Amino acid sequence: MIDKAILLEKMKTSPYKPMKARIIEAKMVTENEKFFKIELEGKINLSHEPGQFVMVSIFGFGEAPISVCSSPTDKGFFDLTVRNVGMLTNALHKLNEGDIVGIRGPFGRGFPVDNMFGYDIVIVAGGLGIVPLRSLIRYIMHNRNDFGDVQILLGCRTPREFLFKEETKEWMRRTEIKFKCTVDRADPDWKGNVGLVTSLIPGVDINPVKTYAVVVGPPVMYKFVILKLLEKAIPDHQIIVSLERRMRCGLGKCGHCQIEGIYVCQSGPVFNYAQLKDFRGECHEGECYEKKI
Amino acid sequence: MKVKYAILEKQDLYRWVEYLKIKARLYAPKKKENLFVFGPVKNADEICLDYIPTILPPKKYYFPQKEKLLEFSIKPFKSEKAIKEFEEYILFGVHTCDIAGIQCLDVVFREYPEDPNYLNRKEKMTIIGIECFKYCDKYANCTSMGNNVPRGGYDLMMVDLGQNFIIHINSEKGERLVVELDYIKEAKPQDLAKLENFRNEKKKMFREELNAPLPEVYKAFSEYESFHSEVWNDVGRRCVACGNCTAVCPTCYCFDIVDELELTLNDGLRYRIWNYCQMDDFAKVATGEDFRKGRNSRQRHRYYRKFKYPVDKYNRYFCIGCGRCSRTCMADIILIETVDSIVDPANAQNYKGLIKNMPEVCQITQDTGACDDR
Amino acid sequence: MKKRSKPKVAFFDFTDCEGCQLQITNMGDTLLELTELFDIVNFREIMSEKSDDYDIAVVEGSISTDNDIKRIKGIRERAKILVAFGSCATIAGVNGIKNRAPLELARQRVYGDKADTVNTIKAMPLDEVVKVDYYILNCPPYVPEIIAVFKSILIGKPYPLPNYAVCVECKMNENVCRYEKDEECMGPVTRAGCNSWCINNGNRCYACRGLVENPAADGAKDIFLKYGFKAEDILKHFTLYNDPQGEKKYDREFK
Repeated sequence: MIDKAILLEKMKTSPYKPMKARIIEAKMVTENEKFFKIELEGKINLSHEPGQFVMVSIFGFGEAPISVCSSPTDKGFFDLTVRNVGMLTNALHKLNEGDIVGIRGPFGRGFPVDNMFGYDIVIVAGGLGIVPLRSLIRYIMHNRNDFGDVQILLGCRTPREFLFKEETKEWMRRTEIKFKCTVDRADPDWKGNVGLVTSLIPGVDINPVKTYAVVVGPPVMYKFVILKLLEKAIPDHQIIVSLERRMRCGLGKCGHCQIEGIYVCQSGPVFNYAQLKDFRGECHEGECYEKKI
Repeated sequence: MKVKYAILEKQDLYRWVEYLKIKARLYAPKKKENLFVFGPVKNADEICLDYIPTILPPKKYYFPQKEKLLEFSIKPFKSEKAIKEFEEYILFGVHTCDIAGIQCLDVVFREYPEDPNYLNRKEKMTIIGIECFKYCDKYANCTSMGNNVPRGGYDLMMVDLGQNFIIHINSEKGERLVVELDYIKEAKPQDLAKLENFRNEKKKMFREELNAPLPEVYKAFSEYESFHSEVWNDVGRRCVACGNCTAVCPTCYCFDIVDELELTLNDGLRYRIWNYCQMDDFAKVATGEDFRKGRNSRQRHRYYRKFKYPVDKYNRYFCIGCGRCSRTCMADIILIETVDSIVDPANAQNYKGLIKNMPEVCQITQDTGACDDR
Repeated sequence: MKKRSKPKVAFFDFTDCEGCQLQITNMGDTLLELTELFDIVNFREIMSEKSDDYDIAVVEGSISTDNDIKRIKGIRERAKILVAFGSCATIAGVNGIKNRAPLELARQRVYGDKADTVNTIKAMPLDEVVKVDYYILNCPPYVPEIIAVFKSILIGKPYPLPNYAVCVECKMNENVCRYEKDEECMGPVTRAGCNSWCINNGNRCYACRGLVENPAADGAKDIFLKYGFKAEDILKHFTLYNDPQGEKKYDREFK
């Protein structure tokens, strides 16, 4: 907890100054995604909540918000998995073990793990959505007896895009979690399910009042998944999502990440469906099942 | 504080200005072509106290257009605050509406996590306001917003009583700028009576510019239908997304962060630069998803950030009524019209880009030489 | 410490006035500082040596003959990085006016009875023929932007062009809006990045940087009409520099 106090103090005195951090491991995990293990100077713990994000700086290039994909129970380092899509992530992909980056954060509100104690957990991940969810999955696995049944449903466009292949194999082997995956388009080697991730939901046994569903994926995915979860009668506030937005400051000031009156970098990126419904139309058309125009 | 109101004779104004210039850097409204801007004062006679809102609000002094945040070097990895010392400055002749704007940004930047750059600049600021006794022009809606009269937020407030200024002393910082000067005297009861008289006259002239009182405006903005109103499509169709309305707004504070390297390619500066929700790419993420598409929804966002969201969050309207956004809009998107149309869609029919007839107002928009008379 | 080998830069020109390259020579001391970072191996305006061995090609001018196409393709093959330099190279600029008339008519007008001996094709920006890695807009280029682009090239960072209007920068500079004085200006639809250079100096914006990606033609037309300009004048303003962008929405609006 001392580490957390140090970080909060830093945020207070110089919120724009990144901490020095070293990449201690870097590897390409798909054609377009690279995995980084990062150590803060002085080996202080990031002390984040699962689902929070950090601002990664490369001086001269700028900053970008990246979800932390390790659990706070992983001590001494944290993990990022980065898709090469923009200027900063492109520069980040060129870095390797031993290189230095700047880190600000952690920012935002993570998954409400304390509220989820004692509940069954259904995790629905689409594509890159598995990245922030990995922090939650690892957290749950490290505190396994705090939770009820745990099921993970993972969907990808093609088998080549699967992230964390070794870990998902491990999840498949383990008995205390159920893991299912599917691809939109199979290739000749694929022997698993084919279809959208929504197709996995009807087959899941759910006790709705005792279940938290956590959904992360591209914006278009949410409304279809949420619809299926509502059909299972899971209450609105027990359906949890994490939204992607443009973030520049992380401090609830710069305005880029705003959804109506809400700064996603401070009040999100994790929301429950009851909150999502309250956005009267400023969320993406894919993000809210009940959105009316 | 011993004195609450002081009197400055008009012939001593320039003398006082010279005195203030010694105390700190002095910024005041000055003429620029047919408009006004805040600028550093070289000669006291540059100052125009009879002015309509400046092109940019004094915001540029406490939240500059481009502000250094960090000084960094890549190798070795190092960064520190780019500005170590902030200088004392006086904003002279600030309208009450702009003072309300400063109060709005105070609330934003003081909220956790606080913004040190803003707070440092704010700490060094002294505000000497001036109360208006005539309307700027048809675009102002200061009375509806309750900002046509001083409501704190300043160190000194000047009121032009004709032959002299009566100065309200509102802080110790302000008091230090008037005490010990033999030409600034304590106000007498008859001066205060005269001020009272002026204020009463003013009440007769300043009327609420919006059709509905503020609580009704807020209520209208809270309704589901308003969010999807046809008004936004009309506004969006006319808007060219030039960003002027947001640039000139005293309560707009969005920014972007950019790095600039020196020619060594190793050292550089991280800046924040004004950025506007009216820009095409404002809410676009790296993957190309744009979360606020269309000029209509971006304009709507701007209005909601004045009349709805900050009221929910801070219990404060972020429109201060200066009228700058309407005055600067080439496409005649007029705030008063838009708000009236949201409150009652029937109004939309009457407007269509033509400003409604406001009560006869004193204008110095066109070059009347009001400034040169002084 | 061993100095890293400096990249070699070559300047080329096509259909243009060479004013953009003149801007480089106008840079003064900054040019000397820049040459610390790279070697100039080809630059007709300032040196007589020539070399075909270069890393970065900075190309001025539009493509307007078949031979130009061949030549630019050759440059593209030799260069690791190709920079389109100035309005003619990036948006075809004033050369694009030629495209408003049928090619044959244009040829006759310019070359008269020698028209048959001259090869000419429509005026094109470089990226219609080859891949362009960096764009330096403006007519002539704005020196701080030239420096910024070179820095980006040297650290391997893209130089994204601003996608907002010149008004944004003009307001930050607190200029009195030209419309305030009933004078025309292309600022509201023109891509920013020049720090409203012209307006700061009392001139109007000619849209030499090209239009923003999504110009609000509807709104812009209303504004022009409101200030008393005729539709054909508006089209002239829009096409002075931007004819090759004519397939954009504004063309349908004004034609």
